[in-house]
Amino acid sequence: MTALRGADGPSLPRGAGPAGPGPAGPGPAAGPWRAHDPLRRALALLAIDRSRVAVSVALGVLGLGSAVALAAVAAWLIARASQMPPVLELSIATVAVRTFGIGRGVFRYLERLVSHDVALRGMGALRNALYTRLAAGRPEGTAAVRRGDLLARVGADVDAVGDAVVRGLLPAAVALVLGLATVVAMGALLPAAGASLAACLLLAGVVAPWLAARGARTTEQRAVIARASIASIALGLLDDPGALAVQGRIAPELAALRGSDAELADATDAGARPAALAAALGSLAVGVAVLSALLLGTRAVAGGGLTPVELAVIVLTPLAAFEATSVLPAAAIQVHRSRAAATRIMALIDEAETGTVPDRGAPGSVAVAPSLVARGLSCAWPGQPPVVSGLDLDLSPGRSIAVVGPSGTGKTTLLLTLAGLLPPHAGTVELGGAAVSSLPRETAARGVALTAEDAHVFATSILENLRVARGDVTPDEAREALRRAGLADWLDGLPDGVDTQLGTDAQNVSGGERRRLLLARALVAPAPLLLVDEPGEHLDPATADLLVRDLLTQSSTATGTPGRPAWSATHRARGVVVVTHRLTPLDAADEVVLLRDGRVEARGTHTELLRTHGGYRESLDRERDDD
Amino acid sequence: MKPFDPRLLRYARSARSYLALTVGLGVFGAVLVVAQALLLAHALASVVHDGADLPDITGVVVALAGVVVTRASVTGVQERYAHRAATRAIGELREQVVERAAALGPRWLAEGAGPGVVTLATRGIDALEPYFVRYLPQLVLAATLTPATLLVVLGLDWVSAAIIAGTLPLIPVFMVLVGQLTQGRSERGLRVMQRLGSQVLDLLAGLATLRALGRERGPAARVRELGDAHRGATMGTLRIAFLSGMVLELLTTLSVALVAVSIGLRLVAGEIDLVTGLAVLVLAPEVYLPLRQVGAHFHASTDGVAAATQVFAVLDTPVPTTGTIPAPDLRSTTVRLRGVGVRAPGREVHAPAGLDLTVAPGRVVALTGPSGAGKTTAVAVLLGLLHPDVGSVTLVDPHGGETDLAGIDLESFWRQVAWLPQRPVLEPGTLADLVTGGAGAVSASARDDAAALTGLDHVVAGLADGWSTPLGRGGTGLSVGQRQRVALTRAVLSCAQLVVLDEPTAHLDAAGDRVVLDAVCALRDAGRTVVLIAHRSSLVALADDVVEVRPEPVVAGVSS
Repeated sequence: MTALRGADGPSLPRGAGPAGPGPAGPGPAAGPWRAHDPLRRALALLAIDRSRVAVSVALGVLGLGSAVALAAVAAWLIARASQMPPVLELSIATVAVRTFGIGRGVFRYLERLVSHDVALRGMGALRNALYTRLAAGRPEGTAAVRRGDLLARVGADVDAVGDAVVRGLLPAAVALVLGLATVVAMGALLPAAGASLAACLLLAGVVAPWLAARGARTTEQRAVIARASIASIALGLLDDPGALAVQGRIAPELAALRGSDAELADATDAGARPAALAAALGSLAVGVAVLSALLLGTRAVAGGGLTPVELAVIVLTPLAAFEATSVLPAAAIQVHRSRAAATRIMALIDEAETGTVPDRGAPGSVAVAPSLVARGLSCAWPGQPPVVSGLDLDLSPGRSIAVVGPSGTGKTTLLLTLAGLLPPHAGTVELGGAAVSSLPRETAARGVALTAEDAHVFATSILENLRVARGDVTPDEAREALRRAGLADWLDGLPDGVDTQLGTDAQNVSGGERRRLLLARALVAPAPLLLVDEPGEHLDPATADLLVRDLLTQSSTATGTPGRPAWSATHRARGVVVVTHRLTPLDAADEVVLLRDGRVEARGTHTELLRTHGGYRESLDRERDDD
Repeated sequence: MKPFDPRLLRYARSARSYLALTVGLGVFGAVLVVAQALLLAHALASVVHDGADLPDITGVVVALAGVVVTRASVTGVQERYAHRAATRAIGELREQVVERAAALGPRWLAEGAGPGVVTLATRGIDALEPYFVRYLPQLVLAATLTPATLLVVLGLDWVSAAIIAGTLPLIPVFMVLVGQLTQGRSERGLRVMQRLGSQVLDLLAGLATLRALGRERGPAARVRELGDAHRGATMGTLRIAFLSGMVLELLTTLSVALVAVSIGLRLVAGEIDLVTGLAVLVLAPEVYLPLRQVGAHFHASTDGVAAATQVFAVLDTPVPTTGTIPAPDLRSTTVRLRGVGVRAPGREVHAPAGLDLTVAPGRVVALTGPSGAGKTTAVAVLLGLLHPDVGSVTLVDPHGGETDLAGIDLESFWRQVAWLPQRPVLEPGTLADLVTGGAGAVSASARDDAAALTGLDHVVAGLADGWSTPLGRGGTGLSVGQRQRVALTRAVLSCAQLVVLDEPTAHLDAAGDRVVLDAVCALRDAGRTVVLIAHRSSLVALADDVVEVRPEPVVAGVSS
C-alpha cells in the first residue's frame, strides 16, 4: 500500500494518467499535471491506494474488454459459420460469446464498486486533511469557512475531487489500457488497420474530450456573471415580494430576470459549439475506423495478407471498441470541474497555512499565569486597516472590564486579538508574559477563552455543546450553567432536557436562546479569563442587563460564596471582558472602556464616566427612556 | 414516476420545438443506423463470401461514407441545439416560478413549500439541463430507434427478432423489480450519508469556535470516524443501487450473444445467408443502446423529474384573486381594520389578534407591542398583501361608505403607498435615481432638502461620486443604516399619501433617531398619513394615535 505523494513522486499510477496529455489538458507541454496544479495537489491529499486503483482499472478493462471480445468473437463466429465448417469447430466460439456476454455485466458491477470505494476512501482522507490542516493553520483562515454557502461548497468541492477519480481518471485509464489492447490485437491481424484504429481512438478519446472541456469552460466563464445576476434577482424577488409589489417593481425585476436568463442562454450557446463538434467527432471516429478497416482489409484479403474471416473481425470489432472512449468527453468536463473545486479547497488550505509554524510546541508544556496585558495594541483583520489602535488593557482574575462603542468600531476584532486568534497589528498582548498569539492554542485557551458573537452551535445535544468548552462537564453542571445564563425556563420546557438535540447552527432555537447557550458555554470553560462578545443581543433589555451584570460580578465572587456552583470551585474569581452596547448594567464593571473611531475615547468606572463624559450620560438616559 | 411530464411542453415553450427537433433527428438517425448496418453487411459479405475486391464494393463504400458523415452531423446538431433549448426552457420555467411565487406572497413563501422555492429557482431547476440534454434524447431514441431497428431485424430474421423481443420486456420488468427491492434501502442509506456528511461540515464550520476554546485537536479523530462511517453507508447503498445497472447490462449483452450464437448455428446449417447474419449482428446492440443510455442517465431523469415536479407544484398553485375596483383617493379615505386576526405560521397563536385599527388621512398612527406580536403582519394585512384569517379590512369614504380591500385593485392602491420595510430592498442604479425613483421628476433642491432631513446628505458627502454613485443590487456598497436613510428619503420625496415605516430606527444609531423623528414630523406637516411600527418611546410620543398589537392563543372553534 503506497500512499500517493504530490510533488516528489509520480502523482498517479501509470495507468491512471489519461491518454496522452490528458483529456482536459491544453497540450502536451502544459498538461494538467503541473507541479502546482491544484487538482494534482488535492489528489495527493486523497492518499489513494495504488493497488486498489490497479484492481479497479483491471476490472474496468475486463468489463469493457468483454464487450469488445464479444464483438470480435461474434464476428469471427458468423463469418466462419458462413463457410459451413463442422459445427464442433464453432463450439468454443459459441461458449466464449456467451461467457463474454455475462462477463461484461459482472465485471462492470465489480469495477463500479471498487472505483467508488477508492474515491470514497480518498474523499475521507481529503476531509480529514482539510480539517487537520485548517485546525493547525492560522485562525483567521478558518473564519471564512463559517458562512453557510461557503460551507456547503466545501462539501460539494470535496465530492467533486472524488468525482475526478471515479468519473474522470479511472475511465480514462480504462480507455487507455483497453484502447492499447484493441489496437495491438487488430494490429496483429493487420498492422495498417491497427494504426488507423489508433488514430480514430485518439480522435474520439483525446480530441473530442478536449473540445468538450473547452466548451464547458467557455460556457462557465461567460455564464458566471449571468448566473450570479439570476441568483440575486430571484433571491431579491422571493425575499420580499411584498415590498416590491407595493413599489410596483415586480414586472421590471422579472424583465431583468428574463434578460439575465437570455445572457445565460447566449453563454451556453457559445459553449455548445465545441461540444457539438466533440459529439460529431466521437461519432465520426467510429465510422471512419470501420470504413478504413473495410478498405484496408479488403485490399489485404485480395493480396492474400488477411483471411476473409479475419476481415469480418477487424471491421466489426471497432464498433464495440469506442464504448470506452464515448464517456471521455464527460470525463474531461468532470476533470475540469474538479480542478475548479480543487483550486478552492487548496486556496482554503493555503490561506490557513500562510506564515504558520506547523508545530508551536507540545500543548500544555507552558504554565500560564492568568494575566492578560495589552500595550499600545492595534487590531486589524489581516490585510486591512486597523479598526482599534493605541489600547492598553490589564485583565487578571477578579477584574471585570466592559468595552462599549458604536457598532462597527472593531470590538469583535479586538476580542479575537486579545484571545490570540489574530496577531496584533501593532503593540503586544501577553498572557503570563508570553505573546498570546504565539502560544500553542491549547495553552492559550487554558488561560483565556473567547465566546464570539457568531460562535458555532454544533448539531448535537445541548450537553455536548457545553462540553465543547470543557470535556468533563456533568449534566448537573450543565443545568446550573444554563440556569445562570437565564435558560432555566427554556430548559424546563424541553422534554429531553440537556440531551435535547439542536439543529445545524442552532436553526431550531431563537436568537436570544442561542446567545444564552453560548454564554452558558463560556461559563463552563476552564479558563480563568473570559472574553464575551455581546451576550445580551436579541434579548429584551431587562434580561440582557441581568445577564451582563451577572457576568461582570462573577469576577468579584470569591470562592466558597454560598450559591456558587461546585463546578467553578476549581478556580478563584475570574477576569472578564464583556463587549456590550447596553450601558445600564455597567455599574457592575470595574472599568468601562469607551471606543469611538478606533480610539479609546474615555475610560474609567461607570460613575466616573457619568460624571465626566456627557455623551455617556446622554446615551444612558436615552436607554432608560426607551425601556 | 413518469419519465416525461407533458406539462413541461405547456409551460416551457422552448421545449416544444426542441422535442420536435429531437424526435425528427431520432427518426432520421434510426434510418441512418439501419442503412449503415445493411450497407456494411453487404460490403463485408461480398468480400468474405463472394471474394469481391475493392472496385466491386466502391459504390457501397461511398454510400457508407455518406451515412457515416451524415450520422456525425446529426449527432452534432442534436448536441448543438440541446444545450440552447435546455437553457431557454429552464429560463422560461424559472421566470414563471419566481413570478408565481412572488404573486403567492410572503405568507406562502414563509411556510410549506415556500422556502424551497428559493433553492429551486436558483439551483434546483438547473437539474433540468442534464434532463433535457442527456436523458430526453435517449428517451426519444428508445421510442424511435428501438422499435425501428427491431422491425428491420424482424424483416431480416424472425428468430433473432423473437430472441430480442423476448428479452426486451424483461428489461423494464427487472429494472422495476430491482428498483422496488432497493428503493427503501437506498433512501435510508441516502439519509444516513447526508447526515454523516453534514456532521463533518458542522465540525468544519465550528472550527473557529473550537479554536477559541483551544479544543480543535480532539475532533480530528471524529472526522476520521465519520468519514469511515460515511464510506460504509455509501458502499452499502451503492452495492444495491448498482444491481439495476448490472441486470441491465447482463440482459442486453447476453441477448446479443444469444443472437450471435443462433445466427452462427443457422449459418452452418445454411438456413440464412451471411448478409442477413451480419446485418442482424450489427443491428442487435443498436436495439438495446437507447435503453442502456436511458438507464445510464437514470439520475439525470430522477433529478430532472423531481425538479420539474417541484416547478409544477408551484405553477399549479392558484394565485388568490385580487379585486378590480380602482382604489379611492387615500387623501380622503380611511383604512379600517376590524377584529383582525392572523394565525402565526407554525404556532397555535393569532398574531395579531382582535386588532382594531383606524388609519385616517393625515394622522400619524403608531403600532406598538412586544416582538412577535404581529406588528409587521398587521402592516401586511393593511397593505392587502395578506388576507386576515379573522376580521375585515375596509376602505371608508368621507361619507361612511365602506369597500372591502379584497375587492380593490391593489396596484391602484399601492400607487398611493410608500412602504419602508425593516430591510429596504433597493434596485440597482445611481443614488439619485434611487431616491427619486418613486416620484419621477424631482428638483435638485427638493432632493437636497429631503436628504438634509434624513441625514442622507452626510452619506452623499462621504461618497466620491456623490449623487451619481452607482449602487449594486440591494444597495451593495451601503450599510443597512445607510440603506434605510436612502429608503426614508425616497419615502419623503414620493408623492404617496400613505407612508408605512417598519421599525425605522432599528439600524440607525443615536443620531439616526433624531432623523426619523424629523422625517415623520415633515411628513405630517405635508398632510401625509403615516403608520409607524415603533419601539422607542420618543417615536411613540410623536404619534397621534397609538395602537397596541397583541398576540393571543387560538381558541378551538374560533379559528378560521
